[in-house]
Amino acid sequence: MNTSTVQIIILIIHILFFIYASFAIASYVVLAIISAVETKEYMKKNSFVNYKEILSSTISPSISIIAPAYNESLNIIENVRSLLSSHYVNYDVIIVNDGSKDDSLEKLIVAYDLVKVDFLINQQIPTKPIRAGVFKSTNPAFEKLTVVDKENGGKADALNMGLNISNHQYVACIDVDCLLLENALQKMIKPFLEVTDKTVIATGGVIRIANSCIIKDGKLLDVNFPKKWIEKAQILEYLRAFLLGRMAWSRLNGLLVISGAFGLFNKKIAIEVGGYDTNTVGEDMEIIVRMRRYMEEKKEKYKVAYIPDPLCWTEAPDNYKIFISQRNRWTRGTIETLRKHRKIAFNKNYKSLGMLSYPYWLFFERLAPVIEVIGIIYFVILMALNEVRWDYAFAFIILAYLFTVLFSIVAIFSEELTFHQYKKKGTGFKLILISALEPFVLHPFILYAAIRGNMDYYFNKKKKWGEMTRKGMAKA
Amino acid sequence: MKSYQYLIDYFENSPPIIQVVWVVCCVFLVSIVSLVLYLKFLRSKLRKDEKIVAKFQKEYESDLISYLYAGNEEEAISAEQQIIIDKLKICAADEFKRRIVVSTLLRLRNEISGEMAEAIQKLYFQSGLITYAFKKFKSNKWYVVAKGIRELTQLQVKEAHDKVMIFVNHPKKEIRKEVQLYLVTLFHFEGLKFLDLLETPLSEWDQIQLLEVLQRFDEQEIPDINPWLKSTNDSVVAFTLKLAKIYNQFEAKDTLLELLAHPQKKIRVEAIQVLCHLQVFEAKDVLKNKFGELSLEEQIAFFKLLENIFETGDEPFLLAHVNHENFEIKVSALKVLKILNFEKFKSLKENSAMPEYVKIVEFIEHN
Repeated sequence: MNTSTVQIIILIIHILFFIYASFAIASYVVLAIISAVETKEYMKKNSFVNYKEILSSTISPSISIIAPAYNESLNIIENVRSLLSSHYVNYDVIIVNDGSKDDSLEKLIVAYDLVKVDFLINQQIPTKPIRAGVFKSTNPAFEKLTVVDKENGGKADALNMGLNISNHQYVACIDVDCLLLENALQKMIKPFLEVTDKTVIATGGVIRIANSCIIKDGKLLDVNFPKKWIEKAQILEYLRAFLLGRMAWSRLNGLLVISGAFGLFNKKIAIEVGGYDTNTVGEDMEIIVRMRRYMEEKKEKYKVAYIPDPLCWTEAPDNYKIFISQRNRWTRGTIETLRKHRKIAFNKNYKSLGMLSYPYWLFFERLAPVIEVIGIIYFVILMALNEVRWDYAFAFIILAYLFTVLFSIVAIFSEELTFHQYKKKGTGFKLILISALEPFVLHPFILYAAIRGNMDYYFNKKKKWGEMTRKGMAKA
Repeated sequence: MKSYQYLIDYFENSPPIIQVVWVVCCVFLVSIVSLVLYLKFLRSKLRKDEKIVAKFQKEYESDLISYLYAGNEEEAISAEQQIIIDKLKICAADEFKRRIVVSTLLRLRNEISGEMAEAIQKLYFQSGLITYAFKKFKSNKWYVVAKGIRELTQLQVKEAHDKVMIFVNHPKKEIRKEVQLYLVTLFHFEGLKFLDLLETPLSEWDQIQLLEVLQRFDEQEIPDINPWLKSTNDSVVAFTLKLAKIYNQFEAKDTLLELLAHPQKKIRVEAIQVLCHLQVFEAKDVLKNKFGELSLEEQIAFFKLLENIFETGDEPFLLAHVNHENFEIKVSALKVLKILNFEKFKSLKENSAMPEYVKIVEFIEHN
């Protein structure tokens, strides 16, 4: 190759990087604008909603909360108490003990006066068999509680067992360590009941980080801003993702994922599609894509709704090792889901699902870290060859950094104008500070985890969930 | 000065794209600084507003309590009450204060009853607040109109009926919902006449809210629900079916039976559930005769009905379905058969070679 050919190739690479970055930035801006419109409308509409009526109504639809538990002995009693303290009338709680090796079941039996009962299970979705049995409480105070002890099959398998056990119309699938606010269920059920021209197949809720918050008897007493950088940065990251990203996708009816930590599903449709996929680590995303695909193929009008209120609080990783493991899994989950449903991609039969949501996820979620790393390697090579145009490089790096900070500050603004959860004096400054530092204290680890996730997906197929050590939330 | 000139020269000599990037960087930087400053202002304002609202609330609450206890039998309005009315009139002119006055009035209105509650309502008229509520009806913003209607509902202003009825088929569902709640909260079952006029769908959420409001009132004469069961608006029919179930409207039996042939599956299923609840035996024969034509949901609903109103003559029908492929139908059929003919029921277990089926039979046998 002569010099001019090399230069043309380099120019093409530069143009491709430039186009990709421009599209990424443009998509973030568009999503932020759509999100602002949607949030404003939601807040206005929500100010007219009286949730008390639905609370006490005996004709309100029935909901099962399904919470899989694996070796959660440390917090299981508190966590179940939190799930049982919902103000909704028509609901029950199904704890699926997924072959825990610790004393979770024994603790539950003692704390909630459980006894083994005869239970007829409609095995609509195949699962691992029951181990010790199905348990109900002899104490009327805990009549809403059912505990199922089964052989270990993973989170998806445990959720499928919950789907089989539930005899209610809707199922809320949540992580057992999540703290649900008392009004969470009535807020989440609302879209199912108020949409009249299409079927709502699922509703996703916002996940907030509970690290350093004060919890007592399963109730959130005080919202605090954590001290560790990794926790602070995740708070900002969640604000950006939930308030700016998902809110906009909800408006476009293009949500591809509902957090596995908290989502409400139309049980009939969840069962018709075959329940959760036990062969993926991204079962939360996969079931939504499959349900959407199913509705598209049936040519039925549908919606995946989203509630931006802070209803579910969870413990986020507080060290980089667990954080990387978690993000590694998220990456593999995304790859698995997108690969499994690649038929949807750019397929106009699937309308916005195929032409908008899927391509967005493919280019700006799935491929983004890969492209970023390629960019970094390319930059290093150019540096080694002394080919870097520093005036360009410097200007673009500053631009990218400022855009990231600006985007984070817009997310903080959105939070302040809507839910205003971090009220304490000084927290505003901390949020601004972390928006300036987050590209250094969190982003490199996200990138590293995503690349590890890609490598594990292709070269280490045996890798499954990874560990998540619970410390327990702060108690009053 | 030298470095400033260097920057200017650098910028001017840069390629156009770099110039654009630096301009955008400056825009971003200015936006960030402005937003940070505004954020600081906003957070302080939010905290300050909370304190101001709390202060005004306390002040108005004290005024309102003074108003309630300042009345005497000689005068319609005592001098002390007049002072408070005048003060509230001035406050009402300011939107921020008006909002606090109204919210304080509403809170107090919800806490008291009888003559005191009437006095609060009187004050709402005397202070001119009602005029502002009516003014909201002229707004182009849907949420202002909705707020106006809600205020009138909470303060139980029945006089606004005709003005509110104008919005009964408003394109914005939030306004329609407020209208419906106004009518039902203030006029109870009489308020349901809006169903005759309703051209838009009544969501499940709205239906539940209306039924909850209705259940607060005792000894109400329930109007004839037959016309609503025949409505061309399917959501009105669905809502009326719920009414029929909750208030045991056996009188509407014939119309309910007609609904078994309704074109909408959802309505047919709900009709079966209501007929089951009312234990209408005629429904059983109608459904049994056309069981094969029913959708799966209707079949399941029918078997639930059968669990309530079975007779000895149903045994052959049950036996035909004890091996139904649908779990719920199979279980229902077995449950009823167990009661009607235990020996026959037991023989199913003995004759079956399928362990899963035996498990179901055994479960029903012991529960």
